[in-house]
Amino acid sequence: MVTDVVRLHLADAEATAALGAALARVLRAGDLVILTGDLGAGKTTLTQGLGRALGVRGQVASPTFVIAREHAPLADGPGLVHVDAYRLGGLTELDALDLDSSLAESVTVVEWGAGLTETLAEDRLDVVIDRARGDAVDEGRQVSVRGIGARWDGVDLAAALQA
Amino acid sequence: MAVSEPLVLGIESTCDETGVALVRGRELLADVTASSMDEHARFGGIVPEVASRAHLEALRPTITAALDAAGVTLADVDAVAVASGPGLVGSLTVGTAGAKALALGLGVPLYGVNHVIGHAAVDELVHGPFPERFLALVVSGGHSSLLLVNDVATDVVELGQTLDDAAGEAFDKVGRLLGLPYPGGPHVDRLARQGDPAAIAFPRGLSKGRELARHPYDFSFSGLKTAVARYLEGRADAGEEYSPADVAASFSEAVADVLVTKTLRACAEHDVRTLVIGGGFSANSRLRELAAERCAAAGVEVRIPPIRYCTDNGAMIAALGSALVRAGVAPSPLDLAVDSSMALSLVSVPA
Repeated sequence: MVTDVVRLHLADAEATAALGAALARVLRAGDLVILTGDLGAGKTTLTQGLGRALGVRGQVASPTFVIAREHAPLADGPGLVHVDAYRLGGLTELDALDLDSSLAESVTVVEWGAGLTETLAEDRLDVVIDRARGDAVDEGRQVSVRGIGARWDGVDLAAALQA
Repeated sequence: MAVSEPLVLGIESTCDETGVALVRGRELLADVTASSMDEHARFGGIVPEVASRAHLEALRPTITAALDAAGVTLADVDAVAVASGPGLVGSLTVGTAGAKALALGLGVPLYGVNHVIGHAAVDELVHGPFPERFLALVVSGGHSSLLLVNDVATDVVELGQTLDDAAGEAFDKVGRLLGLPYPGGPHVDRLARQGDPAAIAFPRGLSKGRELARHPYDFSFSGLKTAVARYLEGRADAGEEYSPADVAASFSEAVADVLVTKTLRACAEHDVRTLVIGGGFSANSRLRELAAERCAAAGVEVRIPPIRYCTDNGAMIAALGSALVRAGVAPSPLDLAVDSSMALSLVSVPA
C-alpha cells in the first residue's frame, strides 16, 4: 500500500513551484499531502505552485502565523487547505484546529507535518524536500515523493511528476 | 470638539484581539482591548478556532467597557464600523455579526472597513489630519503592505505586499533559529541592539535586477530567513563560534533596509512627502531608526503612532469609520459578508 519513491532534483524556486503544479494535476478533493523539509526548503513555494494550478482564491503565503489558511476554489474543483504544523506539539493540538470539517472538499497540504497528521487520513502523499546545509553552494533541492494507502494504488506518480 | 460631529463605535476582531473604541471626529474617547493571547500561548501562536470563541466571550463586555470609559451610552452612537477583512474568517464573523446587530438595533449606518487601512487611519487620532496624499507601510506578524493613500476614506492603491513571510513572521522564525522564546520579534530586536549590523551580508529580497523590476514594491523575507538558517548550520557544522547578537543585528538590518529602501523609492516615484508606518512590527527599533534617518535625508515626514495604536485595536477601526462618515461615503449593506483576503484597495464594503 506504499508506492515507489519518486526522486527529483529541483534546480531553483521556479522548479519547486512547477512540481507543485504537477502535483495539482494528480490531486483531488479529500487528498492529504504531508510536506516535510527544513526551514527554507521551499514548502510554501511548492504550495504556491500547487494553489495556482488548482485555481484557488487568495494569495498562498506562509501559514505559520495563523496555522491554517483556507483557499476556496475559483471554479469547479477542490479548494486548498494550507496548514503549518510547525508550532503544534502533537495530535491533540491538531484536533483543536477542527481540520476535519474541510478535508473532504479540499486538497489539504500540511507543512512540517511528519509524525503529527497521519491519523487525519489513511491515504496520503508524502513529499520530502531537502536543501543543502550550511555553507554548501548548491542552491538546488532534492525531493522524494511517495503515495501511501489505497488512494495511490496504481497511480503512476513517476509519469505524472517527471513529465 | 464639535459636539455635532458623529460618534462612531469601532469593532476590531480580525485576529486575536477584541477591540472596541469610540471616536468623535478625530478625537478618541475610549479604546478597550481584550486579548486571547494567553489562550494561544501553548500553541506558540494564534489558533483560529480558539480566537473565534474568545471573541464571542469578549465582545459584549468590551463594548460595555468602552461605552463606560467614554461616558456615553449606546443611544449616543451615530454609526458603527467593523473590520470585515482581511483576517481569520471565524474571528471576522464574530465582530461583524455583533456590529450588524448593533447597527440594526440602533438604526444607525454600518461600515465594513479594511483592517490594514485602519492601521494607517489611526494615525489621524494621534498626529492630526492627513496631508493630501501619503504612503502607508503596514507591517506586522500577518501583513507587510505598501499603500499609496490618495484619500484614506475613498482612494487607496496597493503598491506591494509580501510574497511569502510577513516581516514580523520572519522575526519570529529567526527568533526560533536563535533559540529565543515565542514570539521572537521583540527578543531578536533586543539582541540586535548589541550586535554589528554589518557583520554578516544577508540577502535583500527582490532588490536587484529582474526581480526588482518585476516586484518594485513587493517584499520577500523567505530567502533571508533561509540564509540565516544556513549561516547558523554552517557555523555548527564547522564547529565555529558565532555571535547571536551579530546574526540578529545583520538580519534586522536586512529587513529594515528592504522595507525603508522600497518605501522611499515609492515616495520618490509618486512624489509623496509623508510616510505613515503602522502595524505591530513598527515597534521594531531598527526600522524606526532607519526610517527616521533616511526619510529625514530624503525630506519625507515620518508619522508612527505610539505602539498601543500600532498593535490591533478598536481605535483604528473607529478612526477609519469616522473618516468614511466625514467623506460622506455610503454605508455598507447590513448583509455584508466578511472577506478573509479583502483587497487592500477596498477601504470599505460598498453599498
